[in-house]
Amino acid sequence: MKFETGKRGLLINILSLIVFTLVWQILVILARNDIFNIPFIRLRDIPTPVETWYALVGSMFTRIYGPSFTYGIINHVYASLVRVIEGGIIAFIIGVPVGIGVGYSKFLGNLFNPIIEIIRNMPPMAWIPLSIFIFVSGGSIFIVFIGVVFPIILNTIQGVRSTDTRLIDAAKTLGASESMIVKKVVIPSALPSIMTGLRIGLGVGWMAIVAAEMVIKSPVGLGYFIWNMGDLGRYSEMVAGMIVIGVIGYIMNISILLLQRRFINWVD
Amino acid sequence: MGRLVLSSVSKKFNNFQALLDVNFEVEDGEFVCLLGPSGCGKTTVLRLVAGLVAPDDGIISLDGKKINGVNKECGFVFQEYALFPWRTVKENIEFGPQVKGMTKTECESISKHYIDLVGLSGFENHYPNELSGGMKQRVGIARAYANNPKLLLMDEPFGALDAQTRNLMQGELLRIWETEHISVLFVTHSVDEAVYLGDRVVVMSARPGKVKDIFDVKLTRPRIRTGPEANIIRDSVLKSLSTQIKLASHEYI
Ligand SMILES: Nc1ncnc2c1ncn2[C@@H]1O[C@H](COP(=O)(O)OP(=O)(O)OP(=O)(O)O)[C@@H](O)[C@H]1O
Ligand SMILES: [Mg+2]
Repeated sequence: MKFETGKRGLLINILSLIVFTLVWQILVILARNDIFNIPFIRLRDIPTPVETWYALVGSMFTRIYGPSFTYGIINHVYASLVRVIEGGIIAFIIGVPVGIGVGYSKFLGNLFNPIIEIIRNMPPMAWIPLSIFIFVSGGSIFIVFIGVVFPIILNTIQGVRSTDTRLIDAAKTLGASESMIVKKVVIPSALPSIMTGLRIGLGVGWMAIVAAEMVIKSPVGLGYFIWNMGDLGRYSEMVAGMIVIGVIGYIMNISILLLQRRFINWVD
Repeated sequence: MGRLVLSSVSKKFNNFQALLDVNFEVEDGEFVCLLGPSGCGKTTVLRLVAGLVAPDDGIISLDGKKINGVNKECGFVFQEYALFPWRTVKENIEFGPQVKGMTKTECESISKHYIDLVGLSGFENHYPNELSGGMKQRVGIARAYANNPKLLLMDEPFGALDAQTRNLMQGELLRIWETEHISVLFVTHSVDEAVYLGDRVVVMSARPGKVKDIFDVKLTRPRIRTGPEANIIRDSVLKSLSTQIKLASHEYI
């Protein structure tokens, strides 16, 4: 994809958000006044952007109703983020070495390839029922792990395998041992791919956590919040939660891209 | 020291005879250019000498020691530079000393010496993608020298440079070679370059790769590129080469 850069680009970005919001508002209002409706869709039941905004603001922080209270969106975001980060860290610690081993050694490649190929085709959601009864706690972290680890493994393998053989030759002639070559040539050269794997993985992990939280009942988490609000018929809050998920996913993606650009500035 | 001997060296890739019975020497401190049609096995010769591949037959020895496994006494300079893109100029040059386990101070004094020698002062902390082709190859040369090799192997090091930079770099290479007198085996496609740089020019023929002729270039340096003696030598090298190229192209017709 190509993007306009600078002020003009930003302007177009903002404009598109405004147009999207306006169209959303207008469609719902038209449906509610029986002027226009898309067949088979109850557009009138969708909260408008304005209602969603008030719901978002209203449920941002913890609210206390007499003796009981409900968590605010902030708390749900925090809970989900912590799970994604925990699952992501475990996935990184396991995924990168596995990817390097499998990518670099033919033997390890042959050994692990079938297992990786089979397991990676099971979506994280397919693991939820299993994780509910095998994990006493932390089942949703496991779901995140499953979502994050395969993009990391696959991208690491790809990065390792695409290491320029001339760089390996250069290192050899300069006296590097096999382990030095892995440490000082293969890993640095795979680093952009590893970061890409992490970025894609966290995206998958973020989607997986929401799904996991809907099924694995925990009292806090964005997935739980959305499900619960839906159950209670509070659709404005539900949609507000959905938008928060999208925005946070976007921010995570951009942050890693920026980190990548900042620390891997040697890529042409 | 740095006397290279290839005797009866042969190499097959699958069923393709890349080199057959290759014999020549590089004397201690000598600058030898290797010339030949594309695909005649020049790079293969360098890779054999560096120990990156093993010969099927024959013996390659450096200072009387048979080469067996990667030859750490050779410096290799690659055509497309093959610099580590994630390392700065200084870090590229320090790669060899680092993997040999030298201390930080030792590494730094070595890199400083060679950065000065190749004229890259002020660019120590630049990454390769911030350098021009000529500068990249200065780093490549410095990195090879920093390992204190007995023999420098250069595979068309200036092939990717424009004519002007190329002439400049040839002069620079000779200057560096004269201060740090080690043997050089230099692969090129250019007869001009070979005759300008080499003490001797080895002409190879293709299919299978063999040594066809060896020319002495007994001209004092600095050489005049278009001098009459240089022209005579260039003529004979060209003749040797052109029969080669005709032969090689015949086989494709
Ligand atoms: N690893 C390899 N496997 C199979 N064939 C190879 C291999 N390396 C080289 N060859 C073949 O051996 C022959 C000689 O290759 P080499 O690269 O040494 O030629 P060259 O003289 O350096 O050519 P150029 O001038 O184009 O660089 C070529 O035909 C090449 O295809
Ligand atoms: Mg070649």
